[in-house]
Amino acid sequence: MPRERIHKGIAVSKGIAHGTAFKYETKKVEVFQTPILSVYLHEETERFRKAVAKTKRELLSIQKRINEEIGEDFAQFLDAQIMMLDDKEILRKVKERIIKEKKNAEYVYNQVISDYAKKLSQSKDQYFQERVADIWDVGMRVLRNLLGLTHSSIIDIPVGSVVIAHDISPSEAALMNPENILGVAAEAGGRTSHTAITTRALEIPAVLGIENLMSRVKNGESVIIDGDRGILIRHPSSGRINYYRTAKKKEEKLAEALTPYCELPPKTRDGRHIDISANIEFFSEYTHALKYGAEGIGLFRTEFLYLTRRANPTEEEQYRVYNALAQRMKPHTVIIRTYDLGGDKIFSEYHEANPFLGWRAIRVCLDEPEFFNIQLRAILRASINKNVKIMFPMISTYEEIRRINLILRKVKKELASEETAFDKDVQVGIMVETPSAALVSTHLAQEVDFFSIGSNDLTQYTLGVDRGNEKISKLFDHFHPAVINLIKRITDAGHDAHIWVGLCGELAADPLAIPLLIGLGLDELSMSPASIPRAKMILRTLTIPDCEEIAQAALDFRTALEVKRFLRREIHKKFPGIEGVL
Amino acid sequence: MMKEKITILNENGLHALPASRFVKTAEKFKGDVTLIKDGVEVSGKSIMGILTLACEKGSTVVLTCNGVDEKNMMKALKRILEGQD
Repeated sequence: MPRERIHKGIAVSKGIAHGTAFKYETKKVEVFQTPILSVYLHEETERFRKAVAKTKRELLSIQKRINEEIGEDFAQFLDAQIMMLDDKEILRKVKERIIKEKKNAEYVYNQVISDYAKKLSQSKDQYFQERVADIWDVGMRVLRNLLGLTHSSIIDIPVGSVVIAHDISPSEAALMNPENILGVAAEAGGRTSHTAITTRALEIPAVLGIENLMSRVKNGESVIIDGDRGILIRHPSSGRINYYRTAKKKEEKLAEALTPYCELPPKTRDGRHIDISANIEFFSEYTHALKYGAEGIGLFRTEFLYLTRRANPTEEEQYRVYNALAQRMKPHTVIIRTYDLGGDKIFSEYHEANPFLGWRAIRVCLDEPEFFNIQLRAILRASINKNVKIMFPMISTYEEIRRINLILRKVKKELASEETAFDKDVQVGIMVETPSAALVSTHLAQEVDFFSIGSNDLTQYTLGVDRGNEKISKLFDHFHPAVINLIKRITDAGHDAHIWVGLCGELAADPLAIPLLIGLGLDELSMSPASIPRAKMILRTLTIPDCEEIAQAALDFRTALEVKRFLRREIHKKFPGIEGVL
Repeated sequence: MMKEKITILNENGLHALPASRFVKTAEKFKGDVTLIKDGVEVSGKSIMGILTLACEKGSTVVLTCNGVDEKNMMKALKRILEGQD
C-alpha cells in the first residue's frame, strides 16, 4: 500500500468528499488537413453551418441551466461566447477559405480562430489575454461537433467520483452534476474562478490550485477532498478514512437533527428575538440563505462582483445584481457592503509591503471617488425595494464616516435631480473591525444607523496576528479577553446611541460564543448559511439573564483559554441541552 | 464615408460586454463599419475582431462608417465608445 500523501491547495467550497479519482481531461482535438473535391465544397460549408448551429443550441441550453441553478449574473460569460460563435466575420472567412483553398472545415476553422487567439494572447492587458480561454471554449466545441466527437464527458462522470482536472472550462463547470460528482480538485483556479462559484452554488466540496495534481493522481485511486482545510489526500490511511467517515457521519447526523430549526423563529427561550442572517459572497448563495432559514443577508460581499470580472462592473451591472438580491430576499433585509478590496486588486501597477495595514477597502474608495460613486449609485437604486442597507468596511477614523456621509448625500442629490428613485431613509452602517473604531465607537455611533462587528479582522488587528501565517496562527483566538472587551464596548456604545449592533465574523457561528454574544447584548448575528440551523437551536435554548451573567463574568479573565473553559463550564451548568452541538 | 478619431472612454475599455453592445448596434445598420487601432483594421461587426484590438480605456481608434445610414450609425457607435450608452 503506497504511503499517504497530502497536497495543499485553496479551499473554495466546503465539505468532505471521499471517492474514486476520475481524471477529467478535455481530450485534445486533433485536426487534420484534407483536400475537398470541388463538387463537395457546398456540402462542406453546410457541414460547418450545421456544426455552428448545433454548438449554439448547446450553449443556449447551458445558459438556461446556469440561469436556473446558479444565477443570471453568472451566465453573462456565455453571452460573449455565443456572440463569438455567431461572429459573421469568422463565419464568412471560414466559408470563403473552404471554397478557395478546397480544404476541410475543421482545418480552416481551427486556423481562423487560432489567428484570433494568437492576436489576443499578445495583448498586454490581462483581461483581453483571458478571453483566449473563451475563444477556445467555443472553438473546441465547434471542432468537436464537426468531428462528431462527444464533449463534456463531465455530464457522464460515474457516480461516486472525485473529479481531478487541470482546469475546468466555465461552460463545463456549469454542467457538473452533484448527484455523481462528490468533489472537485484542480490545478488551476482560485477563490473567484468559475469553478469556485459553481462548486459552491452546487454545494460540491472543492480544492483548487493544487500543483502537479494531474501527474500525481492516478485514475481510479481513492482520494479524499477536505474542502474546509483546502487539502487533497491520496492513498488515505485507514485511520484517516475512518476519521473523515466519522466526521462526515457526525456532520450529516447533526445536520439532519438541526434541519427542523431552519423553519423556527430565532428567539431565546424567554422570548427575545435575535436576527440570524447570512454572510454571502455570490448572488447565487441567497438560495442557501433561504434554505437554512436566514432572516436576511447580514453581509453581501461585493468584492466578488469585481474579482470575477477583473474589472469594475458598470452601475447597471451592479444594480441588476443588488436589485435581484433585494427582490428575492423580500421581506428580509439585505446589507450590502461596499468593496473591501486591496488597492493591488484594482490597480495592477500598485503594490505594497503590508496590504492588511495598507491602501484597502474604504481607504481606496475615498481616494477614488468615481469608482466609489458607481457602487453607491447602484446600491441606492436597489434600495427602492425598501429592504436594502449600506455598510462600509474598515473604518478606522471618525473623519472617514463624516466624509462618507457627505459623499452619500451628494450621490443622493444627484439621483434625486435625475429623478431616479431610491429609498431616502436607507440605513447606513459601518463595520467595526479596527481597535481604533472600537475605541471611538461612541462618536461613530452618532453618525450611523447600525454597527456590524467584523470579529475576524477585529481579532487580527487587536492581537496583531496575521491568521494566514502558520507560524503564529495559534495566537489568533477570538476569545481573547481583549477582543471580548472591545465587543462589549462597541455594543454598549451602539445601544447608548439607540442603534442596533450586529456581528458578522466567524465568532457569530461559534457555538461556544453564542451565549456570550447574546449576553453582551448583540441584536444580530450573521454567519455562513450552513451554520444557521445550529445557531438557532442554541439560541432557542438560552435565557437572557443567564447569558448576561455569563457575559459579565467572561470579561474579567486573563486568557482566551480561561474564557473558553469558563464558557464550557457555564454551558454545562446552565444549558446542558446544547453540549451535544459544541 | 465618415471617419472619426475617437478616444475610448468606456469605463473598462472595449471589454466583452461593451464590445458586444457595439456589434449588436452596428448590425442594426446597413452600412459597413471598421475600427482601426495601431494600424490594424477590423470589422466593427465582428466581436472577435474588436476584442483582438484590445482597446483599453484611453486608447484611440479610428471609426469609419460607410453606407446610406452612415450618419446615424456613426452617432450611435460613437456613444458606445465614449461610454455614454
